[in-house]
Order: sequence, then structure tokens, then C-alpha cells
Amino acid sequence: MAQLAETYACVPSTERGRGILISGDPKSNSILYCNGRSVIIRYLDRPLEVQVYGEHAYPATVARYSPNGEWIASADVSGTVRIWGTHNDFVLKKEFRVLSGRIDDLQWSPDGERIVASGEGKGKSLVRAFMWDSGTNVGEFDGHSRRVLSCAFKPTRPFRIVTCGEDFLVNFYEGPPFKFKLSHRDHSNFVNCIRFSPDGKRFISVSSDKKGILYDAKTGDKIGELSSEDGHKGSIYAVSWSPDSRKVVTVSADKSAKLWEISDDNNGTVKRTLTCPGSGGVDDMLVGCLWQNDHIVTVSLGGSIFLYSASDLDKAPLELSGHMKNINSISVLKSDPKVILSTSYDGLIVKWVQGIGYSGKLERGVNSQIKCFAAVEEEIVSSGFDNKVWRYSLHGDQCGDGDCIDIGNQPKDLSLARLSSELALVSFDTGVTLLRGTKIVSTIDLGFTVTACTIAPNGTEAIVGGQDGKLHIYSVTGDTLQEEAVLEKHRGAITVIRYSPDVSMFASADANREAVVWDCATREVKLKNMLYHTARINCLAWSPNGSMVATGSLDTCVIVYEVDKPASSRITIKGAHLGGVYGLEFIDDQTVVSSGEDACIRLWNVTPK
Amino acid sequence: MANAASGMAVHDECKLRFLELKAKRTHRFIIFKIEEKQKQVVVEKVGEPTQTYEDFAASLPADECRYAVYDFDFVTAENCQKSRIFFIAWSPDTSRIRNKMIYASSKDRFKRELDGIQVELQATDPTEMGLDVIKSRAN
Repeated sequence: MAQLAETYACVPSTERGRGILISGDPKSNSILYCNGRSVIIRYLDRPLEVQVYGEHAYPATVARYSPNGEWIASADVSGTVRIWGTHNDFVLKKEFRVLSGRIDDLQWSPDGERIVASGEGKGKSLVRAFMWDSGTNVGEFDGHSRRVLSCAFKPTRPFRIVTCGEDFLVNFYEGPPFKFKLSHRDHSNFVNCIRFSPDGKRFISVSSDKKGILYDAKTGDKIGELSSEDGHKGSIYAVSWSPDSRKVVTVSADKSAKLWEISDDNNGTVKRTLTCPGSGGVDDMLVGCLWQNDHIVTVSLGGSIFLYSASDLDKAPLELSGHMKNINSISVLKSDPKVILSTSYDGLIVKWVQGIGYSGKLERGVNSQIKCFAAVEEEIVSSGFDNKVWRYSLHGDQCGDGDCIDIGNQPKDLSLARLSSELALVSFDTGVTLLRGTKIVSTIDLGFTVTACTIAPNGTEAIVGGQDGKLHIYSVTGDTLQEEAVLEKHRGAITVIRYSPDVSMFASADANREAVVWDCATREVKLKNMLYHTARINCLAWSPNGSMVATGSLDTCVIVYEVDKPASSRITIKGAHLGGVYGLEFIDDQTVVSSGEDACIRLWNVTPK
Repeated sequence: MANAASGMAVHDECKLRFLELKAKRTHRFIIFKIEEKQKQVVVEKVGEPTQTYEDFAASLPADECRYAVYDFDFVTAENCQKSRIFFIAWSPDTSRIRNKMIYASSKDRFKRELDGIQVELQATDPTEMGLDVIKSRAN
């Protein structure tokens, strides 16, 4: 049986030049954000417990809790809004096609009866408000000519809706049924976010022209603005009110978040500036914020979430981070407690510690993209989409300087001889290259299309798999490879080959959903019929004691087989990662860590039957 | 060669064994083979009532097609002992195409000769006739 032990969640997907909107539920102390096609619910006091809603067919953009906390409405780039229950396994209540283009913001009315959604579309459909259960329109929203970036519902009666957008306008609608009342053109650039204060007296709009303007909530007239002394020096992307309606927090592209106190004459003065502790690159631009209960949450462009305590602003913030894109490989370092390194194709390497979660990002001198990755205690070897293979030395948390070598062809697969980590085998389209340190020892053209390769921990034997499903076993003598045997069983291109930790067996998997365990000495099949996946197998891992093999596939499942038992007695983890499982490793004999297309890493406790 | 779709004779022993399985429950499973030269379906192997599903799965060759009948016993949700007779068309991916064609075209006629099959299953690899699949079809 397998049980989910921990989830290391992905971070919100961000876009340069635009803010993102995160929301939360004060009652359950959770925040909601979107990454790819999933909506992630994270509990601020239990960061390792994460729930994922993956039912959107298109990338999700924004999600909001209803005022009573029972429903969540989430929207995506196709203009569809889905309303689903928070408990009960996320059962779907209703789905509406609201706009003809991407939805940028969504808000519930305070009584939970109406929803307003804004975004881009063709012609009139830039903003729509509708009843949550029937979808009937409750107003006509003209007045905008370009993308409407944000909208807000007045939290107290009489109901008003305000919207703001790329045409620099802030529009005010009265209703229901909502009709255009007036508009303001006080901003000189995109108006990024607009929010009512919780007491319903005022609303504030912030813009890329670095200004914030306050308006009266009942009439829509401008009453004040955020003072420009000590103001932001970059576009302001998001704003959030404190629960007592006296303060706001704004985040900006100048990499800082500012707390403003709103005085009775409706002008704001900066009370505090919070700069996020980062290396100061583009990734530190802040793009989203939320003030919930005592927490101030800010999100940076690189996807890091910082949690500040509102009552104690001097305390260093808690940083939660992770991957934003598909995690394509994981490596477990044998330290104690176990450290897991995960890489994604955009070149990000993240360190995780079992039981604690996010533990830091590995900064490399050059941020090249990563396709193949291997790590042993003190070294990391990676290759990307160019012809270079990089070697970095790893000291604790930092990466030392890296050396790279150009091997002349794009590497398809990479394998390190674990015991003599100097030796690495890199395979490319037509052959393999043997590397010792950062020097090419030999390049051998093998004559067939190579798809996967592995080298034994002691560096004496190598196995190369081809497009035709044949496994070629070579013995490594000095600088050359000598072919020893060819094994034919697979009926598809070989995708991954791995030796067992004690080197007595090896397992291979192919694109035709089949995995086979072979005995090293006799080269006979030890366990076959491992055909339970329904799509290509992407990754394979051995347990440290060599008794279990786990396979992860594009069909989102992870299956754990025991080598001594027939393949039919297997443990299946269905739906491990939306989009496919791409990385798999055993941490110890009972725990498997898997990563996938949904940019999350999950730890599973596996107990053999 | 003669048209394999029609004209495949069914040997009397097949029918007799099947009736024994159905009425007197003297067999757990029967495996049928098509003898191409005699153009007949004959009984290849018969299993004792004490034999298990694993024995049955092990008697099917990995690269040749067969027809099989299996008597599956199970306990329902309301705690009743029930049994279902399964007809399994075993047609592994690794067998030869001619083999698969002969078995596929003769299957329908053969099934009609065996009266009393409750569930039919086609398996192209061992995972498709795994015990969990049988249990879910037996409902």
C-alpha cells in the first residue's frame, strides 16, 4: 500500500511584466494560487500539506474562495469559470464559459450570490457578472476598450463593482443590475490591481505608473492618493488591504513591498518598506501580495513566496519556494537527513530536506537549461540543450565553480559511475562519449540510434539501449567499449536503464510501457510482465536493498514491483502527478520520492503487502 | 489454405468437457487449441478443481494464442458464494499474426458451441487477464 507522506508544492506561475493575483481564506488560513492547469491550496501553518485541483483543461489563472468558504471559483485562459466544493473531493458544482478570452480576475459578491469576472475577449465581453448557480447575467459592462486586469466587488451594501485595465481607466458600476456610472483616467499607465477595503468605505487602484489612488466607495470619486515621497520606483503590481482597513501593502517591480498607513484625510504614507532577501536579480521583482489575518504574503517573479508576520515586521520572513516548471529529474544525496535535489528544464536546482521541505536553491554560475542531471556526494553533472556537459562541485549549500566541456553532440542521457565519480557516460544520437573528469576520454560512434545509457557503479560495464528496443552490453576497458552481448526483449525504444545498488541486477524500461528486470551475471530475464502502465515509462528507480523496483510513466502513475514476487502483485499509485511522472527515486526502503510535469514533488510511504 | 473463418470444426471432446465443467464442476479450467492441420478446435489441457488462477495463467503459452474457459469462484458483498464462467481469448502481442487471425475469426463460432459462458474477456498480455481484472468483471 502506498500513502502520500509529503508534498513539496510548485509555486505560482508568473509572467514578467504582469502581476499575479493570489487569494486566501482567513478561516482555514490557506492561500490559493495557480500553476499550469492546477489550482493549489496551501495551508500556511502546514506547508507540507498541499491540495491540488487539476480539472481545468487550460492553464488556470486565478482562484477565489467564496465568502462562506464552501466553494472555490477558478478561472482559466479559455474564459471558463469552474465552481467546485472545498471539501468532498472538489466535486464540481457548475462550469460556465464566461468570456471569450483569458480571465484575469474573479471576485465573489459578499453574499456569495454573484461573481464578477474580468479579462480579455472580443468586443463587449471584457467583464461579466453573473449569478453563481444559474449563470444569468446581472449587468452590462461597457466602458472598457482593452484588457481588464482587475475587478472588485464592494463588500457592503449598496453593491458596486469597480474594474480597471490596460486602457488606463478605472470604471465604476452601480447596481444590481450593474450599469456604468463613471470612469476615472487618473493613471498614466496600465492599472494593475483594484481593491475595496474590507469595511467598504474606500477602494484603491495601483498602476504601472508607480501611483496608487484612493476613491470613495459609494460615489466613486477620487479622495486621495498614496504619497509619492518614498514611493515605489517601479510598476506596482498588486495591492492588499489589512483586515482593519487602515493599512495597505503594495508590491512592485522595484523588488520591495511597502506598507502604507491610510490616514483619515485619505492619503497614504509609507510606514514600512520590506525588501525581499534575494540575490537581487530580475527574479526578485515582486508580483503578488495578500494580507490575511496576521500574515503578509508576497510572491516574487521567480516564484518564491515570502511570509511576513504583520504584527512583527522585523522578523525575517519564512521563504517557501519550489519549481515553476516540469521537474525532469531528482537525485537523492546520501546525507542525513536525506537531501533531495530536483531540477527543472529552466535550469533551476532546488534542495529539499525530508520532513522540512524547501531548503534552498542551488545557485550556479551560469544558468543554463538542464535536460539530464546526475549527482553524487560532492559533485553535480548536468547537460542541457546545447552541446555542453557541466560539472560542478557541491559544498553544502553552495555550488562551486563549474567546468564545462563541449562534446560535439547534444547529450540524450547521462550516467555517473557512482563509485568512481570521475567516470561519466554521455549518450547522444548516434553514439556515446566517455568522460573522465572534464576530459573526453573517447567518443564512440555506435551505428544505431541510442536512446538510453547507464554505467555500472564501478565503471567496468556499460549498457546502451537503442531506438529498436535492443540492449547492448559493453565492457569498459580503459578507453574503449567492447560489445559483450545484445539483449532483445523490448518492443519499443528503451527509455531508461538502471543498475541495482548491489549491481547484481539491472532493470530497463521502454516507450511501449514495459519494464524488465535482468540478472547481470547470466543476462537472463528475472522479472517480466511488468506491463501495467498505459503509456511510455519515463523513469525507474531501485530501492537501496535491491528488493523493489519503481517505475513512473507518462500515464501519471507510479508502480512499485517486488523483484521476488510476480509482477501482478504490485502497488500502484494512481494520479501521482498530473501530466506525467518524470523523476523517481527511493529515499529509503519504504519511501519513494516522485516528481512530474505538475512541478510538484511527492513523498510516498510504500509498505509491501 | 481453406477459409479459416468458417469450417473450423469443433471436436466433440470440447463440448463434453465444457458440459462437465458447467454441470458437475469437475474442472477448474479448460484450455483449447486450434489444430491447423486437422482444422479443429481440440482440448489441450484441463485443470483440477483444486488448481488456482496462477496455475491457469502459467499454462497459457506466452507467444501463442489459445481459447480458455475458467470457472471463477468469489464471495459477493452480501456474503454469497458465487461463481462465473469466463471465456478468455488469449491473444498475446508476441504471437504471430497468422496465429492471431485464425483464432480471431474462429472465436465467434466456437463460443456459440459452448452454451453458458457468462463473461468474455480478450487478453493481449498477462496484465489484461490479471486477477484484479477478473474480479472486477465478475462484479
